Amino acid sequence: MTAPTGGFVVGGVILLLLVVLGFGAFLWRAYRLYRYMRLGRNEARIDHPWRRVRDELIVYLGQRKLLKRPYYLRGLAHAFIFWGFLIITIGTVDLLIDGIFGFHLPGAGSAVFAWTIDLFAVLVLASIAVAAVRRAFFPPPRMHVALDGYVILGMIALLMLTLLVFEGAGLSAGLLERGYTPPPIANGILRSIFSRDLAGVVFPVAWWTHVVTVLAFSAYLPQSKHLHIVTTFPNVFFRKQTPRGQLSLIKDIEQQETFGAATIRDFSWKQLLDGYTCTECGRCSDNCPALATGKPLDPQRIVLDIRDQLLREGAALLADPKARTTAPAHWSERKPEELWACTTCAACVEACPVTIEHIDKIVDMRRNLTLMEGSAPPEAQRAMTNIERAGNPWGAPRESRGDWARELGVPTFAENPNAEYLYFVGCAASVDSRNQKVAVALAQILKAAGVSFAILASEETCNGDPARRIGNEYLWQTQAQRNIETFAKYRIRKVIASCPHCFNTIANEYPQLGGNYEVVHALQLVDRLIAEGKLKIARGTAEAIAYHDPCYLGRHNGVYDPPRAVLDAMPGVERVEIEPYHRERGFCCGAGGGRMWMEEKVGQRVNHRRIDQLLATNSGATKVASGCPFCLIMLEEGVGAKGVQEQVKPVDVLELVAGRLQS
Amino acid sequence: MKILIPLKQVPDSTVRVKVAPDGKRIAADGITWSISPYDEYAIEMALERKDSDPSTIVAVVTVGPARSRDALRQALAMGCDEASLVLAEEEVAPLAVARALAKVVQDAKPDLVLCGKQASDDDQGFVGPALAEVLGWAHVSTITKVVVSEGAAELWREVEGGHEVWKATLPALATVHKSEKEPRYPSLPGIMKAKKKEIPERPFASLGIDANAPKLEIVSLEPPPARGGGKILKDGDAKALAERLATSLRDEAKVL
Ligand code: SF4
Ligand code: SF4
Repeated sequence: MTAPTGGFVVGGVILLLLVVLGFGAFLWRAYRLYRYMRLGRNEARIDHPWRRVRDELIVYLGQRKLLKRPYYLRGLAHAFIFWGFLIITIGTVDLLIDGIFGFHLPGAGSAVFAWTIDLFAVLVLASIAVAAVRRAFFPPPRMHVALDGYVILGMIALLMLTLLVFEGAGLSAGLLERGYTPPPIANGILRSIFSRDLAGVVFPVAWWTHVVTVLAFSAYLPQSKHLHIVTTFPNVFFRKQTPRGQLSLIKDIEQQETFGAATIRDFSWKQLLDGYTCTECGRCSDNCPALATGKPLDPQRIVLDIRDQLLREGAALLADPKARTTAPAHWSERKPEELWACTTCAACVEACPVTIEHIDKIVDMRRNLTLMEGSAPPEAQRAMTNIERAGNPWGAPRESRGDWARELGVPTFAENPNAEYLYFVGCAASVDSRNQKVAVALAQILKAAGVSFAILASEETCNGDPARRIGNEYLWQTQAQRNIETFAKYRIRKVIASCPHCFNTIANEYPQLGGNYEVVHALQLVDRLIAEGKLKIARGTAEAIAYHDPCYLGRHNGVYDPPRAVLDAMPGVERVEIEPYHRERGFCCGAGGGRMWMEEKVGQRVNHRRIDQLLATNSGATKVASGCPFCLIMLEEGVGAKGVQEQVKPVDVLELVAGRLQS
Repeated sequence: MKILIPLKQVPDSTVRVKVAPDGKRIAADGITWSISPYDEYAIEMALERKDSDPSTIVAVVTVGPARSRDALRQALAMGCDEASLVLAEEEVAPLAVARALAKVVQDAKPDLVLCGKQASDDDQGFVGPALAEVLGWAHVSTITKVVVSEGAAELWREVEGGHEVWKATLPALATVHKSEKEPRYPSLPGIMKAKKKEIPERPFASLGIDANAPKLEIVSLEPPPARGGGKILKDGDAKALAERLATSLRDEAKVL
């Protein structure tokens, strides 16, 4: 028995009462939040249990998503606070048990434990200093610096201090007996500060302050955004384990009566849990290309508006199960334009340290606007009508799809049903004159490498991605179904796509409709063909070439290296990066999420910002290479608008390869 | 009020049409059919009126083969209330179409008939005005806006440098050039509802109208000649280039 409640029945009882009050307040509120959360629609999130455990270790305990460019220092400070907090919580639990029941947790009296606590208490205090200084003097642009943050930081600091002081004073007063060398801070420094008499007074004061702070903290926590300490645990566990580029399937779509998210109840419980988990750190907003170029979209607000609306309406909704509430499109000042501004680039999803899924919410709300209200922007409606009638968003004749290939002698599956690979050309490379050149380049490469392939020409239809991301799940399903049937007709198993959107949706989304194929992006295949020696690249002119990461190749599918490896395999080419906006921080071209088909009148155009970033690197790159037809169109428009088309020429990596084939 | 829109199903504008082997028609196989674009504008115009006054009833009708049902369903999906089909598998002369539609109008008793200003397949622009003549109604062509008030309509028509506003007592007929907004994309519940809706049908022959009417005879159809590659004049100063351009235009293109 070391606690200053020692022997006093009164002390033990008071402590017990405080514990019941503090934890009771926490549980009371937590239960309420849980019931609000259950207002959301059902969604199963228990597939891949082992991956969930692994993520818990890496993302929650390991703090992996905090330690990221450009947030290393802040991330580390956070990690120390978190780890310290966890360890000290064990110490606190031990202390409470000791205070009430008079015994210790096993191992709590060991030297290792004491030294660990001592070390972490110091690291936490130092990290809190970093965090406080940053908040006070260098607040990050998107972060909400509120009193709440200081309250929490203050409480954690107080917890650490009281623990150290309590230990130091206890030792000094001879009230604590330790069978090992006491840790340096508590022992060395603090012990010498207090005289024996003073220590006798400080000891119980520090102890009680510690205990009261713990209980106050637990009572305060659920009112605060720092509830994320708790909610991150389930939020990481229940994160999406399906591919990032896969949107949810609306099953039996023809039998449904309502679509998408119009009210709080239409979000899934996990989407509502996301709201409780948001730390308001603003990393998502920091990285959002729409927000950065002045669009009325802020991914953090998307998450927080859902949370705020849930807190506003939760009680009423629980009381009346039939109450329908306001649509998110009309919450506060929210306008549908916000939702239409999203390019689904996943910069927000990538940046969020607590695995919040922004895109799914945005698309769910878009689904409601498109499928229920028929209110997509007119240009997007035109694109959808074109997909419906002509099988491509441009509205080019369906029969013209194979025109680019006619003179190259590229066979169709009707002509060569035994081809090994399907080259799924996609709409852009089929009908857009600039991108037809990319299709030609890939055909030349495949022939040079002796790959057996064929195309579907007019039997191919849009993969459906733009429709799905505009929110038109029905149109996506009809297009996908049509392709899946055609694939089945020719027993196609292997698919090459030169467009990351085709690649993503065929690889990650067609399985939702029963279409399972081995899908590669053309640059992955070319990388492999070079490595296997099946493609020989000739030395070309020496030039610096910048690489632009397409979102649906990079962030959505983690294909960062193969395109780079292909560039590096070209003698004479010096690959340069668009620092610091490359790899997982790559900046969108502005065309994803159906934005290719919508007007962009507010703020700076996203593709113009991308060209600014490219020029700002001063890398001397004479070309900017990508692996996506939409990026190519956007980059071309961008260099044209900036008047730098003579200085830096947008190309597809495939065109570079085709131009340097060694015969 | 009730608005009736006679529409025509035509090959979609994205279709690359081919001439049938007999050289007198277009080949119909594999074609995507849709509502003629000006008819879509007429529908949108009527639906915009319905948006502001939900008591408005919007009906569509077509004279055509069985496949035209799809066009009627599309109109229902957009939000029209009723649709009916006058079934005619063989092509009907335009004046006979107008007579058939007049029968439909007399039964349905709409206050306003809106037609597309012309169908995008043969671009004749005949049926709308002919229908007004058969009915003996007033009509205004190529309107861009309609404002309805107690028993009368203001019909706006774009002319060079401004617009004319015509007033007509109802019932009246107008042909539509464009609606205020682009024709709407149907909602999914709209599509599903349209699939289930009944579309009454009556055979053209049962209307008892005179099918004899002047008809265009197509002597032959051929696709336009394939466009030859362009020519880019490079190398040389402006004067030399201009000379060569003029020579080419005179001797090769023979336009000067
Ligand atoms: S997906 Fe991209 S554009 Fe959309 S909210 Fe996230 S960061 Fe912004
Ligand atoms: S959603 Fe994630 S990244 Fe955005 S503010 Fe919340 S916690 Fe931070």
